[in-house]
Amino acid sequence: MAAPGQGKVLYDQEGVFIHSSCGKIDEQDTLIPGILRVIEKDEDVVVDWRPLEETMDSSNILCAAKDSSSVVEWTTKERGMHLPDHQNSYEAEWDMVNTVSFKKKQFANGGVQSPLNSQSKWSFLFSLADLKSIKQNKEGMGWSYFVFCLKDDVVLPALHFHQGGSELLLECLGKHVMFCESEQDGRILLVSCQNNSLSQSFENLLEESTYSLIQKLKKDPYTATLASFSKVTNYLFDTIRGSDPVTQRRPREEMAFLGDAIQDLKINQQEESGFEVITRIDVGTRPEVHRRDPMSTAEWEANIDHEGRICNVDRIKNMIFKGGLCHALRKEVWKFLLGYFPWDSTREERAHLQKRKTDEYFRMKLQWKSVSEEQENRNSKLRDYRSLIEKDVNRTDRTNKFYEGPDNPGLNLLHDILMTYCMYDFDLGYVQGMSDLLSPVLYVMENEVDAFWCFVSYMDQMHQNFEEQMQGMKTQLVHLSTLLRLLDSGFCSYLESQDSGYLYFCFRWLLIRFKREFNFQDTLRLWEVIWTDLPCQNFHLLICCAILESEKQVIMEQHFGFNEILKHINELSMKLDVNDVLSKAEAISLQMMKCKDLPLNVCDVIGIKNNGVAGPNEATSEENLAKKHKKSSPQYVPVPVIAANGTKSAATLQTLPNSVHTPTSA
Amino acid sequence: MSAKSSLLKIILLGDGGVGKSSLMNRYVTNKFDTQLFHTIGVEFLNKELEVDGHLVTMQIWDTAGQERFRSLRTPFYRGSDCCLLTFSVDDSQSFQNLTNWKKEFIYYADVKDPDSFPFVILGNKIDITDRQVSVEEAQAWCRDNGNNPYFETSAKDATNVAAAFEEAVRRVLAIEDRSDQLINTDTVNLHRKPKPTTACC
Repeated sequence: MAAPGQGKVLYDQEGVFIHSSCGKIDEQDTLIPGILRVIEKDEDVVVDWRPLEETMDSSNILCAAKDSSSVVEWTTKERGMHLPDHQNSYEAEWDMVNTVSFKKKQFANGGVQSPLNSQSKWSFLFSLADLKSIKQNKEGMGWSYFVFCLKDDVVLPALHFHQGGSELLLECLGKHVMFCESEQDGRILLVSCQNNSLSQSFENLLEESTYSLIQKLKKDPYTATLASFSKVTNYLFDTIRGSDPVTQRRPREEMAFLGDAIQDLKINQQEESGFEVITRIDVGTRPEVHRRDPMSTAEWEANIDHEGRICNVDRIKNMIFKGGLCHALRKEVWKFLLGYFPWDSTREERAHLQKRKTDEYFRMKLQWKSVSEEQENRNSKLRDYRSLIEKDVNRTDRTNKFYEGPDNPGLNLLHDILMTYCMYDFDLGYVQGMSDLLSPVLYVMENEVDAFWCFVSYMDQMHQNFEEQMQGMKTQLVHLSTLLRLLDSGFCSYLESQDSGYLYFCFRWLLIRFKREFNFQDTLRLWEVIWTDLPCQNFHLLICCAILESEKQVIMEQHFGFNEILKHINELSMKLDVNDVLSKAEAISLQMMKCKDLPLNVCDVIGIKNNGVAGPNEATSEENLAKKHKKSSPQYVPVPVIAANGTKSAATLQTLPNSVHTPTSA
Repeated sequence: MSAKSSLLKIILLGDGGVGKSSLMNRYVTNKFDTQLFHTIGVEFLNKELEVDGHLVTMQIWDTAGQERFRSLRTPFYRGSDCCLLTFSVDDSQSFQNLTNWKKEFIYYADVKDPDSFPFVILGNKIDITDRQVSVEEAQAWCRDNGNNPYFETSAKDATNVAAAFEEAVRRVLAIEDRSDQLINTDTVNLHRKPKPTTACC
C-alpha cells in the first residue's frame, strides 16, 4: 500500500480538484483540492489522489480499497448509496458514473478490508495495471480534467487540473502503459493490454522451462507480481466469459508475447510521451503504381562485364523490384540477391567460391551422415531434429512436381539440406517453417550445394524468427502494428477492440514470408522482389499492410471477432493476387516517403531518416543507421519532429537498405 | 439449452506429425489429404452436429506441435471445453509426451479441476502396421491418468474419428448437465421438485 513518501514519486501535482456536489443535484459543486501523485513502488506504479483537507460529511464515504488481486473497488459505506450526481453541462462523463453499479467485492485471502486513505472520503489509489482508460475533456474548455476508468469498469471521479499538469501526467503514465485513442470517442485514451511490469512477469511465465513452472514460481522474486497478475487475468477472463458466447473465448495472454519486444524496441509510445498516438497524421494521397515485365535474360546479360561482374546493380535491383525475374534467370540471379555471390565478383572468383563452398557443404553433410545409431541414441537433440525433418519434408509442397509422389528425389535433397543445416547451426537446428523457406530455393537452384548456401543466406535474414524466444516475430509484429497505426488507426482500434491488436493472425505470413499465402510461382516472384531490399527496409511489412487494407472492409462491416478474423486471414491463402498486393505495397511506400510528418518510430521501421535530408551520395547504410539510432535514442519528443523541408525521394531511400553492395569501379 | 453448450471449443494437442490436422480435416470435411502441409500457427474449423438430441457447434482448434511454438499456441487453450490428446501409435516418443501435453494444457488453459476436466486420448495412424505403442500400454496410461476414454483412430481410413469427436462432445455435455443440476439445486424453483443433490465439494 503505497503512501506518498514511500516508493519513488514519479509525478506530483498540487491543485488537482474533485468537484463534488455531495449527492444533491441542485447544490453548487463543492471543490475538493488535492494532490495527485504517481508513485513507483515494488514493481508497481500507483496513482494516488488525496485531498488537502477533510471537511466532508462522513455519511457518503467512498473508499478505494486495494485487495490482494490489486483490483481496486469503490465501495460505499452505506448499501444502495449512489455516487453523488454530477450532471454538469461540461461534464458528460458523469453519465458514465451514474450507470456504473458499485458492488462490494469479496476480498481474497479473507483479509480485512483496510480502506486506504481512510482519513478522506474521496481519496483514491489504484495500480496502473488496473487502468482501462482515461477520458479527457476537449481542448478549449477551461482547465483540463481526466476521468480514470479501471478495468472492472469502475469510474473514478473526474480530476480537474486547476493548476495544470495534465499533460505531464500523461507523459508520466505513458512511460508505464501504452495508450491509444478510442475509435468511438477521440477523447478516450485506452490502455493497451500490456503494462511493463505485468508483461515482464508474463514473459517470465512463458519462458519458464516447460513443466516446472509452479516450482519455479516459488523461488521467483516477482512472485507477488505474478500472483496478482494471474488474478487480474482471471478476473478479466471471467468478465469476458459472461459476454457474447461467440466471442467469449478470447485469449488473454497473447499480448504478453509482445510485451518485452515492445520494451526492447523502444517502439512503445512511452518515448513519445503518449502524445504521438493521439495525433492523427495525414499520410497524403497514394500515388498510382505500375509494375513492369519480369527482367529478361537480355536485360540481365547487358549488365555483365567481360569478367562477369554485375554492373548497375542499383538499376538491376530496381528492375527486379518493379517486375521480378523471368524464370530462366532465377537460378543465377537469386544467388546474388541472396548474397551467396557478391555482385562485384568475377566469374573466376565465383567458381572458386563455389568450389570452396562445395567442400564445406559435404564436410558438414558427412558429419550427420556418419553418426551411428548408437551415437544418435545418446543425442536427443539430433534425434529430435531428424525426426521432425523427416516428418516435415513429407509435408512440404507435395503438390509441386519437384516434390510430389513417393520417393521423389526432391524430398531426399530437402531432407539432406535441412539435416546439414543442423550441423551448420546446431543451436538453431530445425524449426518448423524452415522447410517452407528451403523448398522454393531448392526448386530454383536444382543443385544441393547452391541451394544449401542460398538457404543459409536466407536464414541469416530470417534467423531471429526461429530462435527460442522468437524475437524476430515479436519485433515484426510490433513493427507491423506501428505501420498499420499510421496508415489506418481506425482499423487498428477495431482490431484492438476485438483483442486482435497484436496481429497474431499475421504470424504465418511473417514466419515464412507469405509462403503459404500465395501459390508457388507467385511466392518466387514475391520473394525476389523482397530480396532487392527496395524501396525501403521491411517492405514485407508494407505487403502485410496492403493485404490487411484490402480485407479491412469485410472484417469491419461483418463485425468479425477474434476467431473470425483469424479464420478469415487464414483462409486468404491462395486467394491473393501477387501483382495487386505488390503494387499496393509499393504505393504505400511511396505515400509514406512523401509524408513530411512521418513519426519517428515509423521512420525507424522502414529505415528512412526522419528529417529527409539524406542524399543519395550519403555514406553507407551503417553510418546512416548509426546516425539514425543516435537521433532516435530515448528522449522526450512531444510530437514527431520532422523538418519542414523533409522531402524524400525514392533515390534517397534506395541507399538505406541494410545491405548495400557498392559496385567497384575497377 | 444454455448458450455455453451451443458452442464447444475442442483443442487438439500432441507432437508434430501425429496427425492432428488430418484428424480435424477427416472429421469436418471427411477428406484425407496425403499432401497436407504441416500446420504453422493456429487454425480452427467449425462443425455442427447432433449428439443425443443436443445440437452443438464444435469449434476444433489445431495447433503447431513443435516445442518452439509453445508461447504462441498456449494462449489459445483458454476456454477449451475438451482437450483431445493425440499421439501416433507408430511413434513411442509422441506417446511418452502425452503427459507433458496434458500438463501444458492444464496449466495454460487454467483448468480449475484437472481431475474432472474432459480429456479424450487418441492413438492415431492405426492403419500403419508397424506399431510402437500397444493398445494395452495406451489403455493403461489412460486408466492411470484420469481414467479418460481412449480411441484408436486412423484419419487416413476414417476409423473411429467421428466416434472420438462425438465422445468429446458427450463428455462436455455430461459435465454441463451435472453443473446445471448443481445450479438447479441451489436455486429455488417453484415448478420443479428439488432434484437429489449431487455430491458437491
